[in-house]
Amino acid sequence: MPQLTYAGGSVEIDDQGYLVNLADWNEDVAQAVATREGMDQLDEAMLEVIRFLRSYYQKFNAFPILNYVCKNIHQPRNCVSDEFINPEKAWKIAGLPKMEGFHFISTDGRHYVMEAPS
Amino acid sequence: MADTKAAEMKVKVVKEPSLMTGAVPTRDWWDVEAIFKPGNYCYPAKKSIAEYHGKNLPGLFGEPRDWEIESDDWQLPENWKEIIINGIKERLDKFRSLKIFMDCCVRCGACADKCHFFLGTGDPKNMPVLRAELFRSVYRNDFTTAGRILGEIAGARPMTFKVLKEWFMYFYQCTECRRCSVFCPYGIDTAEVTMMGRELLHLVGVNTNWILEPAANSNRTGNHLGLQPHTFKENAEFLIDDIEDATGVRLQNLNFNRKGAEVLFIIPSADVFADPGIFTFMGYIMLFEHIGLDYTISTYASEGGNFGLFTHNSLMKKLNAKMYAEAKRLGVKWILGGECGHMWRVIHQYMNTMNGPADFLEMPKSPITGTVFDNAAATKMVHISEFTADLIHHGKLKIDKSRNDNQIVTFHDSCNTARGMGLMEEPRYILNSVCNNFHEMPENTIRDKTFCCGSGTGLNTGEIMDLRMRAGLPRANAVKYVAERHGVNMLSCVCAIDRATLLALNQYWNPEVQVCGVSELVGNALIMEGEKERETDLRGEPLPGMEG
Repeated sequence: MPQLTYAGGSVEIDDQGYLVNLADWNEDVAQAVATREGMDQLDEAMLEVIRFLRSYYQKFNAFPILNYVCKNIHQPRNCVSDEFINPEKAWKIAGLPKMEGFHFISTDGRHYVMEAPS
Repeated sequence: MADTKAAEMKVKVVKEPSLMTGAVPTRDWWDVEAIFKPGNYCYPAKKSIAEYHGKNLPGLFGEPRDWEIESDDWQLPENWKEIIINGIKERLDKFRSLKIFMDCCVRCGACADKCHFFLGTGDPKNMPVLRAELFRSVYRNDFTTAGRILGEIAGARPMTFKVLKEWFMYFYQCTECRRCSVFCPYGIDTAEVTMMGRELLHLVGVNTNWILEPAANSNRTGNHLGLQPHTFKENAEFLIDDIEDATGVRLQNLNFNRKGAEVLFIIPSADVFADPGIFTFMGYIMLFEHIGLDYTISTYASEGGNFGLFTHNSLMKKLNAKMYAEAKRLGVKWILGGECGHMWRVIHQYMNTMNGPADFLEMPKSPITGTVFDNAAATKMVHISEFTADLIHHGKLKIDKSRNDNQIVTFHDSCNTARGMGLMEEPRYILNSVCNNFHEMPENTIRDKTFCCGSGTGLNTGEIMDLRMRAGLPRANAVKYVAERHGVNMLSCVCAIDRATLLALNQYWNPEVQVCGVSELVGNALIMEGEKERETDLRGEPLPGMEG
């Protein structure tokens, strides 16, 4: 398993960059994952999204409706896409396991749409 | 002959052998091997998922294992050929349609250029006639006298690994949309050939994860996404907040698993999960509140879609059984179904014989208009578009069409609702009643001749985007036509797979065109009792005249 080093040590990630152990997560790890994903310093608005995703996951074991996130943390309607471009990236930075059965895809690299089997 | 016709039509006909490469074919079609490379195949099912299905339905999903499609060793069971041949025999005995479709093709070629996969890829094996021939050639070899004696001369060939690879490639480049069957003079339904092909592949453990994982979720949790009951409820209830933002009205009637409700409402689960399905869901529940319908939603039968249809009829039957089981438990009178494609294929064509008769239900009757839906006598299930169109027809809805004036709308007939159940007028009647700007795509691309979105039957996975964009090209091309001619900016549909896949398709081919469910436009137009001055639509976008 590849290792990801961060300010306070190193953690295990899988070959797609997902954290292997949910409990390994802290905000320094989040920053390291974000850097690995090609992002700059996470700002407070982004961290709010990340923290909310984690608490949502613990309660509902699912990926939330995106506007649900923004509404709950009092940010603009498209906050997740605006801040992270691909919402799956936010999920990964939050240290949550890769969600199977749906995905976000883009044909232009700027707009990501969710596809679910239904 | 071809030249005379070309002269008459004043067109030039290319006489070189291949339009794509200019190459002259030197080999028979069956000598051309299927070669898998990244981007042209769906990933196989995870071992744990295959195991799960194997436990539920022993023998139908092959040996669970980790295997790679690009490898030359698929780790098939030693007797895999025998399993396939016996599987064909069993199906020929059981399904008379298959036997007829194997025997009666005269290879006239009427279907050849009707397939969106053929039009998009240019691959001859995507001509429906040749796709079926992949199967038929094996059938001839083992089940016909001429084939047994004459072999290749009679178009027969034995089952080999090469054939198996071909099956996997081309039965997963068919969306079972049945457009070809509309043009076949014999009515051969290539979709059923594909279905049989996929069943046989599953028997030897050749499968895709994008289909088997949602099917497993659906069996275990109730829906494709594996949303647990409290999550399903939370998501749906959140949408009430969004409706309140847009209308000022707090809906009171949304409820779950309520015994004694008159109607059980079943939706494709993506409608409480993904954009833009969630807006369609808002439209449904606003409509029910508007008319005071006594309904309930189940967190057990929380999936209208049925990925079992793309695997094996036993799994389809099992997943479908939840609908009646829940209707019985809750004691409802009849079932109303949301905007979904293959859900209706399963209901309309198979449900009654698989899990019916539902004699514990009543003949569906609209409590608002008194209309009896005797067309649904067999299944006791009514489509939301039938229900809504009837309400509009009887003047039961208060509608302000102008709220949809920013939308210039066209309608994509979903293959399954159009060709699978004949639902063609109702969505159009609704659209014309709730929108001022509605334009049809060209005649040959709508209604029973509709072009598939290109990603149905469990093909809407990310690893085959190139194929999907090709397969969706004919549909996208028709959308482009109305976008250029009439300024169409909204592609409406009544299918959850469409709501997902057309979004990606349009992003690629027609970036200016959005996608919505028909019920979303109904929700925008409904004048709710006690509403505030509406400033935005259900997506939070300003209504006409409210910009800035």
